[in-house]
Formats: sequence, C-alpha cells, structure tokens
Amino acid sequence: MTAPVSVAFTARPVSSGNAVVLDRLTKSFAKQRGWRAILTGRKSEPVRALSEVSCEVRAGEFFGLLGENGAGKTTLFKILATLVIPESGTASVSGFDVIRSPNRVREVLAPVIADERSLNWRLSARENMRLFAALHGLRGAAATRRIDELLTLVNLVEATDRLVSGFSSGMKQRLLVARTLLARPSVLLLDEPTRSLDPISARAFRRFLREDIALAQGCTVLLATHNAEEAFELCDRVGVLHRGQLVAAGQTSELARQVGEDRFAIWMRPAHPAAIAALTAQGVIRDMRPLDEEDGWSRIECDLRDGLDGAAEAVSFLTNAGVRVARCEPVKLSLADLLERVLEQHRSNA
Amino acid sequence: MHKIWALIRASWLSASSYKLGVVFSFGSLILSVIPIFFVTRALQTTMADVIKGQGDQYFAFLIIGLIALNIVTSTIYALPGGLQNATSTGTLEALLATPTSVTAMLVGLSGYEVLFSLVRSLVMLLTAAVLGAQIEWLRLGASLPIIGLVVLAHLPIAIVTAAMVLAFRTRGPLPQVVLMLSSFLGGVYYPTTVIPGWIESISAFIPLTYGLTALRAILLEGRSIASVWREISILVAFTVVATVLSALAFRAALRYARRVGNLAQY
Repeated sequence: MTAPVSVAFTARPVSSGNAVVLDRLTKSFAKQRGWRAILTGRKSEPVRALSEVSCEVRAGEFFGLLGENGAGKTTLFKILATLVIPESGTASVSGFDVIRSPNRVREVLAPVIADERSLNWRLSARENMRLFAALHGLRGAAATRRIDELLTLVNLVEATDRLVSGFSSGMKQRLLVARTLLARPSVLLLDEPTRSLDPISARAFRRFLREDIALAQGCTVLLATHNAEEAFELCDRVGVLHRGQLVAAGQTSELARQVGEDRFAIWMRPAHPAAIAALTAQGVIRDMRPLDEEDGWSRIECDLRDGLDGAAEAVSFLTNAGVRVARCEPVKLSLADLLERVLEQHRSNA
Repeated sequence: MHKIWALIRASWLSASSYKLGVVFSFGSLILSVIPIFFVTRALQTTMADVIKGQGDQYFAFLIIGLIALNIVTSTIYALPGGLQNATSTGTLEALLATPTSVTAMLVGLSGYEVLFSLVRSLVMLLTAAVLGAQIEWLRLGASLPIIGLVVLAHLPIAIVTAAMVLAFRTRGPLPQVVLMLSSFLGGVYYPTTVIPGWIESISAFIPLTYGLTALRAILLEGRSIASVWREISILVAFTVVATVLSALAFRAALRYARRVGNLAQY
C-alpha cells in the first residue's frame, strides 16, 4: 500500500473541523458464484472495493471523488450513508461513527439518491416532499414552510402541484436535492448527479449546487463523479480513487495544475520541427505529441512550463522563428488522461 | 405513527391516481360474488349438515372464508411486495437514509395494501348481503379484533418473506406453502372437520383455522367475543412466538444485506 499523491493534502489528526474522517477504510465483496462453483463448493475470490482509504473532509468543503466505474466511489458513499458495513477501518461523520452510531449519522448526513425512480412519479412535487418531511419528523406548519422554502430554492415553485411524471430530468434532479435538504443535513453526498442531464442542464445544475447548496446553505458536499471537468469546476479539493485506492487527494487547483493545467494544444503553419526541438531543449515544451492536421494547420499537444507564461514564451519563440500560430489553448483533461497521469505520479512516488 | 400514516397516505395517493384501476378492482370484486352465490346455492343441500353450527348457510360460510383468505394473502404479500418495489425503484435507499425506524418503515410500506384489502372485504360482504347472505351485522364490531389478530398472526410470515427478499432477492416458498395450507386445510371452503384422517391434525397448526372459527361464530352465529376465547388465546400465542422469531430473522437479514452490500440493490 503506497500513500496517495499528496497535493497540499496530508493526513492530519482528527479535528473538530472535519465533517468526514476516513481511516484505513477497507471493504471487499464476495464475487457472485456461477452454478459450477456452487455445485463444486469452490469459493470465490473476494473483490476489493476499497483498500485502506484514509482521508478527511473539512466542514463546509466541496470535495470531489474522481474515479472510473468500479473505482469504489459508490461503495464509499454507501458506507458513509450506513447502507454498507465496512470490513475494517473506520468512518465517521461529524464525529459519529457509521457503525456505532448509524442513527446519529443519518441525522447529519444525507445522500442525494440520483435515481429519478426513487421519486414517486404518481405524486406531485409537494406530496413527494410532504412524505419525506414526515419521515424526517417535520409536521404541520413547520413542514409546509420548509417545503415551500426548498421548492423555491430549487426553482420548482411553478411546478409544485404537478405530477412528477411530467418533470424533465433536470427538474427531477432538483427535486431529489430538495427532498434531501428537508433533513437540514450538514453533509450531503452526491453520486454522479449530472449523469442523466444534457450539457446545458448539467451546467445549470452544477451552478445550483455550488452557489445555492454549498455556499448559501453551508453544506459540506461530497461529489462522486467520473467527469474531471465537473470536479475541477465545482470542488475545493478532489480525491482520485483507482481500484479502491485513494491515489491522489488535494486542492483542485493544485491537482489540476500538476496533472493537467499545463497541457496545451498549438495550431501552427508550417510545421517547424527545429523550432519545437529548440523549445524542448530549453525545457519550455515537454511531453509533446503531434496531432492530426486540421484545415492545413499542423497541431501538437504538449505540456508547457509555467502554464500561461510558458504558452506566451512558446508563441513568441515560434513567431520569431517564422511560424504562424493560429491557436494555443489549454487542453481539457479527460478522466482517462487524468488517471493516467495521477497513476504515473503515484507509481513514481511508490 | 405519523411516519407510518405518511407512508400509507403516499401509497393511497399513488394507487388512487390510477382511477380506472380502482374502478376495475371493485367492479371485478363485486362481479366475482355472483358465481359464488349460484354455486353455493346449488351445493347448499350437500353442505348443510357439515356446516351446522357455523351459520348453516353455505353462501355466507364461503364468503367469510374467502374474505379471510384475501386478507391473509394481502398481509403476507404486501410487505415483501412493498420492499421489492421500494428496492427496484431506489425508494428503499432513500427511506433507509431517513431517521425512520425499520418497524415504522415496514408497517408503512405494507399498511396500505392491508387496509385496502379490508375495504375490499367490506365491499364483498355488502355485495353478499345484497344477494342474501345471512350476516349478523350487529356483531361486525366484535369481529374487528379477530380480523386484527388474523392480520397480526400472519405478519411474521410476511416479515420472514421480506427478510428473504432483503437478503436473497427472492420471496422463497414460504408464502405459497402457507397460503396453500391455509386454503385447503384452514377451513376456507369447508369445515376442517370434514378433512380425512391425519391430514386434519395439520389444520391445528394453521392460524387461519382459529381465525375462521372465531369469525364465523361471531358473524354467522351471532355469538359473543368471549365465546371464542380459546381461538383468541391460540392466535395470540402464535402471534407472539412467531413475531419474536421473525424479528430475529429480519434483523439477521438486514445485517447480512449491509455486510454484502446488496441492501438497496435490485
């Protein structure tokens, strides 16, 4: 077991300012056996979903968990939501242990169930909210007031008495968030909340999460996503899970800079290998790879030393060398690229 | 209690939004009583002797049997059905994330189905009365505790079935076995006294046997609740023992589901 790549993020002693503390959290699941294995009595190898994950999330923080499918994000969330019992290690929310005090954990933490089917589609938005208000112990005028507040917050006032079956995906997602906020949770878990939204709705929803939920409500938010762009846009800090291991964690800006912010694409004409070689020799360009030509423009993708400063230096150098530069812009890192880079750093640290 | 009613109310609002379904449900129920009336009238002479002391009218005898069987069927299937539905839609995960006790959740998820079966029973009884079934209407109130006990006595079977659903995603054979035994050996269609030989002794282990004896004594013979104390005692004893055992089974299933991670998985 190697330590995660640390970017302004180190394991700190538990403090009262931590909303979530994970300490060497481990969970394995038994693999489902086929008929042959059952009949021959062969035991299946357990699948390790989480492996000694340690991490802290400070109160009021927007923390992103990045990882591909099967990385362990959902398992981690289910442990925090007291739906799954860990094998070893501990997890606590606002100081309450998820195994010893599950009821207290449920009072302070709420998972936003992203599955739209978890709403009752044959009921109106208000009736859906009324049911969960009762389950959270709210009744009478207090419940009505809270429901009105939240439906206003998620901008569903106009649709309050409409059946949920007629809602768009974006409206349903907002209603799911409103339903979760009934409990006035201090910690909110969001598991891929924008997966069923179109890009425009997803952007609006992200803005809503950041401005109305995290900043206005003061919630600590844990967001699981496999969309690197989403994590970088929303989160103060991110952790990267890979095959159950936390391989990186730290300030989003720092992590983005380390693993992706210096990556640029340059459009130029003509291709000038000598100039590129000179920039590489000066250390301005690193890790260059040529891309396909586009409309007669040669393209390369590379890391530029010092980000934008390096970009200015490279463009100036190329222009002086007689190369026309049409574009020099940062490359948006896909999760696959990000993981590749993080794992590379992780391995070299190990 | 407030949480239970909230869950029942939501189920009612959801079910009643399918208006045509509600109409068909009651329409088919009313229509189903008509053939029963004609068949039982044809068999009245044959059955008169064996049902002596249990109302003497085979139509009323069978209607009470079928009503009780319907209530038992709803009780046994409502909870695992509600749990399966909540699991497949993801509602269970949302419910479990609220500070609601497991007991309140289970009663709330199944409560509507059981209450609806009671309403259907009343409609069936009224239809039968219109067709000439001799019911002691003044004793209807006295029959309610017996109906409550019949529901409670079968709730443990529902809880064990729900535990199976929670842990293994299958209802298992228990509900079918109980319903089959209750149908044929519990006195639904004929008195248990006509069951031949050793098979009759099995009916002594079926809670519906006692429930039906008590219900018919009260609703068809007009006897008091005190006259069926023996049946009540047996039902209470069965309920207490079975409830404790089923609660243990459910707790074990819940823990197992949390350990293997399939609590809210379909």
